[in-house]
Amino acid sequence: MRIEKCYFCSGPIYPGHGMMFIRNDCKVFKFCRSKCHKNFKKKRNPRKTRWTKAFRKAAGKELTVDNSLEFEKRRNIPVKYQRELWSKTVQAMKKVEAIKQKRQARFIINRLKKGKELEKAEAINEVKKNIHLIRASHAGQTKKLEEKMVQKLAEDVEMAE
Amino acid sequence: MGKSKQVGNHKNGKKKNIAKTWKTKRRTKDLDQIHSDMIPKNAAKLLKQEVDYDVTGFAQNYCLHCARYFVDLKALKEHFKTKVHKRRLKELREEPYSQAEAERAAGMGSYVAPKKVEVHTQQVEENME
Repeated sequence: MRIEKCYFCSGPIYPGHGMMFIRNDCKVFKFCRSKCHKNFKKKRNPRKTRWTKAFRKAAGKELTVDNSLEFEKRRNIPVKYQRELWSKTVQAMKKVEAIKQKRQARFIINRLKKGKELEKAEAINEVKKNIHLIRASHAGQTKKLEEKMVQKLAEDVEMAE
Repeated sequence: MGKSKQVGNHKNGKKKNIAKTWKTKRRTKDLDQIHSDMIPKNAAKLLKQEVDYDVTGFAQNYCLHCARYFVDLKALKEHFKTKVHKRRLKELREEPYSQAEAERAAGMGSYVAPKKVEVHTQQVEENME
């Protein structure tokens, strides 16, 4: 028994789930649910369908190249049961999974940082453009003029004395 | 990315029942099959088929990329100018999707971006008789 991967969405196919389509040239296609099968029948491209894993990876939405992704693989080599190996493998799997989760989360956070920067720049730009709504461009000019006049008057008085 | 708008569905009955066109018995060739057809050895066979009276145009005018037979050379040449054909060429410019890619996308190994493939419309010999 194996947990296969769906041809269309790359999700896991547990035993007793999904369906298999065998094309008349013997090529096998496995689907996790009817949604994926229907989309396949409509000849949709998984790389262009937004909700599939293939799209997310191809479009750079998710972590694609990492050493933590190299553990889970189809090996096609039968391993004889050894209790020690088995228990160690299970322990390792948990650790690998934890590391993988962390790295994937970090990748997404880093990806979203760019948007936040752009948002901030956009906000600053908007305030700069519409500053006249907050403070009129000629605000405080009369006061300045008044001060200048007072200063000049004082100077004149001084000169006269 | 989403579905393209369906246009002109009132007068041409072809698209009336779309569920029927998705039936397995009406299945047309997939992109990966066409990619294997494009290998020169296979392509030569498909482009020079024997006369078959059951097929459109006696199987003499075949568009390799769209996997379609045409009535005559003129129709075939006209087809090369259409949007359908050009769109198909564009779709074929990427390596075909496979189960291996699905597995890599699922986290079994690093994901490798699909390679580009050069695709050109087939050459038609000009024999005016």
